[in-house]
Amino acid sequence: MSETTVSLKRRKRRINAVSVPAEAVIHIIMILFCLFCIIPFVFVVIISFTSEESIRQIGYSFIPNEWSVEGYQYVMKMGAQLWRSYFNSFFITVVGTICSVLMCVLYSYALFRPDFKYRNFFMFISFFTMMFGGGLAPTYAVSKQLLGLHDNYAALIVPLLFSPFNIVIMRTFFQSSVPTELIESAAIDGSGEYNTLFKIVVPIAKPGIATIALFNALAYWNDWFTAMIYVRDAKEYIPLQYLLIKMQRDVQFLSQNSASLGAEAVKAAVNLPAQSLKMVLVVMIVVPITFAYPFFQRYIISGLTVGSIKG
Amino acid sequence: MKKKALALVLSVAMMATMLSACGGNSGTSSTDTSSTTESSSTETASSTDTAAPAEDELAEHVTIKWYLEGSNVSDDTEVMAAVNEYLGEKLNMTLEPIWGTWGDFDEGASLSLQSGDDVDIYFTCSWTTNEYSQYAKDGYYVRLDDPENNLLEKYAPDLLGLIPDVLVDGANVEGASGFGVYAVPGYKDIANQYCWDVNVTLLEKYGYTIDDVKNRSFDQFGELFETVKQGEGANFFPLLPESSVIERCVNRVAAIDDNGLLSYYFNPENPSEPLSKYGNVLQNKFATDEFRTFAEQMSKYYAAGYVDPECANSQTSQETRTAHQLEGSYLIGVQSYAYGYEAQASQERGIEVQFVPCEDPYIDTVSSRGAMMAISTASKNPERAMMFLNLLNTDPYLMTLLEYGVEGVHYTLNDDGCVVFTDKRADYTPWRNGMGNITILPPQEGEGVGYVERFKEYYGASHMLPTTGFTFDTDPVETEVAACKSIVEEYSTALYMGSAKDGMLDEMLERLDGAGMQKIVDEANRQLDEFFKSK
Repeated sequence: MSETTVSLKRRKRRINAVSVPAEAVIHIIMILFCLFCIIPFVFVVIISFTSEESIRQIGYSFIPNEWSVEGYQYVMKMGAQLWRSYFNSFFITVVGTICSVLMCVLYSYALFRPDFKYRNFFMFISFFTMMFGGGLAPTYAVSKQLLGLHDNYAALIVPLLFSPFNIVIMRTFFQSSVPTELIESAAIDGSGEYNTLFKIVVPIAKPGIATIALFNALAYWNDWFTAMIYVRDAKEYIPLQYLLIKMQRDVQFLSQNSASLGAEAVKAAVNLPAQSLKMVLVVMIVVPITFAYPFFQRYIISGLTVGSIKG
Repeated sequence: MKKKALALVLSVAMMATMLSACGGNSGTSSTDTSSTTESSSTETASSTDTAAPAEDELAEHVTIKWYLEGSNVSDDTEVMAAVNEYLGEKLNMTLEPIWGTWGDFDEGASLSLQSGDDVDIYFTCSWTTNEYSQYAKDGYYVRLDDPENNLLEKYAPDLLGLIPDVLVDGANVEGASGFGVYAVPGYKDIANQYCWDVNVTLLEKYGYTIDDVKNRSFDQFGELFETVKQGEGANFFPLLPESSVIERCVNRVAAIDDNGLLSYYFNPENPSEPLSKYGNVLQNKFATDEFRTFAEQMSKYYAAGYVDPECANSQTSQETRTAHQLEGSYLIGVQSYAYGYEAQASQERGIEVQFVPCEDPYIDTVSSRGAMMAISTASKNPERAMMFLNLLNTDPYLMTLLEYGVEGVHYTLNDDGCVVFTDKRADYTPWRNGMGNITILPPQEGEGVGYVERFKEYYGASHMLPTTGFTFDTDPVETEVAACKSIVEEYSTALYMGSAKDGMLDEMLERLDGAGMQKIVDEANRQLDEFFKSK
């Protein structure tokens, strides 16, 4: 009896509204979740504006004893290397994303087409690399000595170009959103293969493409490992992420080996950047990529709704 | 069916190309070695009586790549221009240094070695990934005194004579081409000496003198700590420990392996003898009475608030220590000593620092392999690399240029002939001890005239541990070592810093027993016995 009154009341408010307490609980959970995501970043920003003295005295704190912009000043003084690394990160991300998305779309489109004879074989090839890697040293030897991928932009872009995982996603997306009949009718209307792909299939698959573009952009932006192993002589190719991780690793190595290095470690540690500087770099790395999210998100959300309307 | 067959054929083809890629690599390297032996055998004929490289050996211009550790170099154009002009004249070669840093050397150098990169010379030592004895055994380094192609004799006959015998002993290992020298040791601070690092300024403020530290043993420091702690307030921590180093200050133990599992006790009066209580027998580091006493004493000091709790956190321990040192906010710390460091430390910290040594300086295996230069077996020009290493270690001009930069740009010489650095030095700071013979360098301003003589005298007088030259080969007990190591990592910081709870040591010992610690100790002692027999 009471249940029906509740449902009647609910019906009065709006057709698909949830009860007020439930909504409140959901809101609180969501707000907490947002806070969990945002607070660490706010904390990083605060630390980046904290003076070194204050970190030494009271450690990391939301309310530092003393504010300062010395970390940012130091970064500005780093000059050429920093801006160069910034440029590198942007360049690698933009070029890498475009190339890898193009590659992924072409590859997965071919796998999606049922009339492609060797699709299972090519599927197997891409799948195989997902399960079995070549191992670090052989991969390095092939990339470096055979393909000349070292100390240039190609070395930072090519290794991440092909992602089997994205191909699986993209192929599934094609399968679920592009009807084969559409391609057939395009062919009947006289559309060539490239025309069909770029004029008809790609516009339909935009949400899927945006998703893998976001994945790729993030992968390129956050990648430091490739830079660490392939950029050795020419420091001008170092991306921003690696600049940061390098400082971190220097500090780590010195503290791990302090017993065997002795006074040497202390001497070297004096030259290493301070706490707040690291956070300044984190801020500088995170800010640009956060702007990429809203841009891609538009497509991702529209992808979700498109799917639901079609049911 | 047809499809499947095709897929099979293609995947076989793919496998084949993969395999041939690997095979091709080893194939080229083997042809490399054969060509080098050929060319060197013709050289032996031409240059038997002259030590200086003959003309025809230098006919071809080559590039030598050199992988260094610990550098902080952002702009080397001026230095390398000068270096290459000089080397071009002397050895008809171009030098290309790779400025590895503390953070990237381990990964970069080992990858580079394993994949047979065209790098000619690598930094190597006892504490990086490309660990000297292991990589020599695995055949990555050229044996320099190979009887069939004795590079040292041919191109660097005097080189080893300039270096203390103990370093040469340390460089002799059982490698892939027999027992011999696989790298040129760098002549740097070669001895270990652990010291109490005393803030004299603060000590005197409370009416003590340095003798009050000298005449006290570790368990008697409490009185000093209490007085200073009272005076400086609750946020002041008089004792500034560094894990494992403080144990070496209190108990005279030498590390045997870099896993921190074993201890060798030596006689504090004379480090070239073992402690009579134990003899030449390695101990489970944590099972000795000495360690228990030390850990209990540390716990007392920690409980009394003499140690900064941040030090007991393995993440922040090192940073905290550096910060306290630089601020001079400590009374007694520990320091592994390097000659000439006292003056530098006083200047950096703005206080008077004195080091009270806990024992005479001694040399062990680790310190005798502290910094070396090895020629890679993948090098196409090992002869020229050897010539370069010889020149580097004997020619003051070249060494100074590479270490300190260009005179007038990176440094100037003052009236005494000491080096004074300019601001440009910040762009070019290689790790001084990571290149080679530092005794041919002019002294820096803080070191003063006659530094080299004092340096040589100090290290010349150092003792040699009986175990120097012994390397514990952990291969037979690999699993046990890995298991014990992870247990030790869990507890060690707490034990060394004194934050351990009661019974923690016993708990750890019990777990170590279960993980096969005794097997490691037995194996190590068996190897040590063999080492002494062969000596």
